[in-house]
Amino acid sequence: MRYRAFGLSIHSDMPLRALIPVVSTRSDITIARGNVPDRLAAPAMVKPYSQSAPGELLFTVPAIARFYVTGGTMIRYQPKANSDPQTIALYLLGTGLGAIMHQRGRLVIHGNALRFSNQAVIFAGSSGQGKSTLAAAFYQKGYELLADDLASVDDRAKVHPSYPQLKLWHDSATRLHIDVERMERVRQPILKYACPLDGGFCDKPLPLKSIYILQAHNENRFEIKPVKGITKMTALIAQTYRFGHLKGLSLQHQHLKSCAQLVKQVEVVELFRPMAGFHIDALRELIEARENQSPRVGQGSAT
Amino acid sequence: MTVPGNIYWIASYPKSGNTWMRAFISQFIQDEPASFDINSINSGAIASSREWVQSALDFDIHELNCDEVDFLRPEAYTWLSQQLQNPGYHKVHDAYDILPDGRPLFPAEATRGVLYIVRNPLDVAVSFANHSQKPLDSIINAMANNDFAFAGNSQGLPAQLRQRLGSWSFHVLSWRDKHRLPVKLVRYEDMLADPLATFSSVASFLQLTEDEYAVRVAVNACSFENLQTQEKQTVFREKPQVAPAFFRKGQAGDWKNALNPEQAARIIQDHGVVMRSLGYCPENESRLDAIVDRSLTALDCNMP
Repeated sequence: MRYRAFGLSIHSDMPLRALIPVVSTRSDITIARGNVPDRLAAPAMVKPYSQSAPGELLFTVPAIARFYVTGGTMIRYQPKANSDPQTIALYLLGTGLGAIMHQRGRLVIHGNALRFSNQAVIFAGSSGQGKSTLAAAFYQKGYELLADDLASVDDRAKVHPSYPQLKLWHDSATRLHIDVERMERVRQPILKYACPLDGGFCDKPLPLKSIYILQAHNENRFEIKPVKGITKMTALIAQTYRFGHLKGLSLQHQHLKSCAQLVKQVEVVELFRPMAGFHIDALRELIEARENQSPRVGQGSAT
Repeated sequence: MTVPGNIYWIASYPKSGNTWMRAFISQFIQDEPASFDINSINSGAIASSREWVQSALDFDIHELNCDEVDFLRPEAYTWLSQQLQNPGYHKVHDAYDILPDGRPLFPAEATRGVLYIVRNPLDVAVSFANHSQKPLDSIINAMANNDFAFAGNSQGLPAQLRQRLGSWSFHVLSWRDKHRLPVKLVRYEDMLADPLATFSSVASFLQLTEDEYAVRVAVNACSFENLQTQEKQTVFREKPQVAPAFFRKGQAGDWKNALNPEQAARIIQDHGVVMRSLGYCPENESRLDAIVDRSLTALDCNMP
């Protein structure tokens, strides 16, 4: 089956239902079941469940599968006995394609990308800071999403669309009054749901305008802090998806150069919200007001 | 012979003096200890830090359930320990837990030693209730609950990894008696009553310093009064938003003003055996004599 995502054509023998299927003969990336080596010949980095070297990442998700990601073009996977294909697909689309993007020289930001007018804005931040919830709140207001969890930025500072799906935890969905009854869980052992983006997906690359880094603090107020100077660079680096991959893949130098290039072109903003309570509307309105200071063009319309 | 790890676990039940201890430790591992600031207490990540554990793993852990993540933690800690050039000091609120496959959550390979801080559970209850702004009775229930955990919500993604604490007694026994790691037990009450002697022995155990003058300087810099004063002048980042203050009273025996006799008796009933083993003998408290006697008698009768 062939799909497209991140501006690339993907050929996969594992059904990846979240992706957009295409008819094409070209494939930039191949995903195939097969034998995965136990270890690398010359690993540059060895971690408990992974090894990496320039162009190669080998990782094992216990009880699920072993994965071998090479050259920015190939993911081989070897399922463990009785493992669940849905979870394998989840790792192919997450860690697997994330490593592919690194290997292809893309800057991968751990965050959700959203369309504002004809530009993209990324909500970044650590896991559990509400990136997907905020993206869902914008989606409900008619905004279009480009990417969930993994935002791929090329060397011209363009964000590439991933696939028309948003993954939401039960709590977030409930708070946003989204009915998860008819939605599928992303994998059975967790209460996180695959929410299809009906008409709310932006399927073309957009230039990146701003990166918001979501954080919670213990004060009862919101705070917007544009990051300037050298800290802008460190703030951006900290938002890199699976930063730990880069050393073993020998991509640190290239990654620094990409970040240095990007900070010249985009705004980086730290956004603090109160730790207690749920403030999604206030947060969304704050960002909306800030991003829409200039009139929007075509926002919300189908592409 | 196994090579010892590089991590000292600074373990405690919540509200037992862990942050105060970390303030002390950070005096020795920061570049400019003279400019002590409560918001730069940085002795290392908490063991349940999602990001710290994730940094040892090259695949995403945010779509695994709590048990699946726990399975990965021992190996992650061992690797993180191997990356350290100097000893690391990491706060822990989890109990010393054994995973279903028999591996300890905090493996010997990662561990240099365990500093366990313990506080009279009668005072812990009061402090914990203030900290979380919950009724005392619900805190007393939690302290007796063997399934008590932090960040265990499976309907969302808590910022920290799940921490199984178990009951207060279970927590103490797990870290004190259930392993062969080098362990030093420190009582909060001794940190208050004789700071110099207590912190000196801690500094020695944690390989921070043998220099008594250095300990004295550090003890003064992060005295409870100093922590409190600083919190009045600035927002302490580790304070829960709902709590009026993090460094509240820092006293031993404040429970006498806050717990009613039934509440005190309940805690003694739940934890009397472990309390006695730590020298927390409430027998002499006149106001509570009758109730305490009654619960201790009941306790003795129930002992195997």
